[in-house]
Amino acid sequence: METITVNKNKLYYPPGGILLWIIIFLELFTFGMALIAMVFYSKYEPEVFHNSRLLLNSTFGAVNTVFLLTSGFFMAISVKSFKKNNIKKTTYFLRLTMFGGILFLVLKSVEYYFKIESGYTIGYNTFFSFYWMLTLFHVIHVIVGLVILFNIYIGFKQQKSSNSVEDFESSAAFWHMCDLIWLLLFPVVYLIF
Amino acid sequence: MKKKILLKVWIVLIVLTVSVALVANLTLSISFTAIIILSLSILKFLGVSFYFMELKKAHVFWKAAVLMYVFLFFVIIIILL
Repeated sequence: METITVNKNKLYYPPGGILLWIIIFLELFTFGMALIAMVFYSKYEPEVFHNSRLLLNSTFGAVNTVFLLTSGFFMAISVKSFKKNNIKKTTYFLRLTMFGGILFLVLKSVEYYFKIESGYTIGYNTFFSFYWMLTLFHVIHVIVGLVILFNIYIGFKQQKSSNSVEDFESSAAFWHMCDLIWLLLFPVVYLIF
Repeated sequence: MKKKILLKVWIVLIVLTVSVALVANLTLSISFTAIIILSLSILKFLGVSFYFMELKKAHVFWKAAVLMYVFLFFVIIIILL
């Protein structure tokens, strides 16, 4: 079986491509600064932040972390299978990756439903303003990631696949970026206050 | 990256996630709990970026950039808490 290799040990070609990594850093800085702002504002209203944090379901957050990490694991296996030209395994693990993302969105929707029903909307207090803005912005990234992965999946299903290793790695890097953002959001929003 | 290594990393990430959830329920001081939670979360961040995203094989610049980012994030959050 032919193995496709890409030399990543170059400054201008990190795994996924330099442009995608510039986007990843911009996203990480954006979310990072927003989280730092959240912690900064918590100093002015410590009781509000603590009591509001207790209103969140950290079990939902932990389960969602497991969903995204598992999805990321399947994504990494899928990329590995693609490099070995094993398209059957690639699409199988890609389906599992997307399934993990969908589970994340379903659980997030349930969480949002309970929050809205209880009246903890974006204008409830400062904590919930940050909660909604940060988590919704992240959810948008997950949806975009799913659209990209679905597009790649459709590409594999065509008779003559047009997907290259670089395209697939870039899509995978975007998906992993959603993991990275969540790994910063979860502890700060759900646990530390 | 071998599949076995990826599987090991995934198991470690899940164990760390469970540990973070358990630590959050302990009755320690808030700042001490926050330091443990953030440290474990940053380990997960590095696990995903270095193994799942194959940053381990990338140029040292990208590794240093990620390490610098998580270090700054951790320090600023801890100072502000």
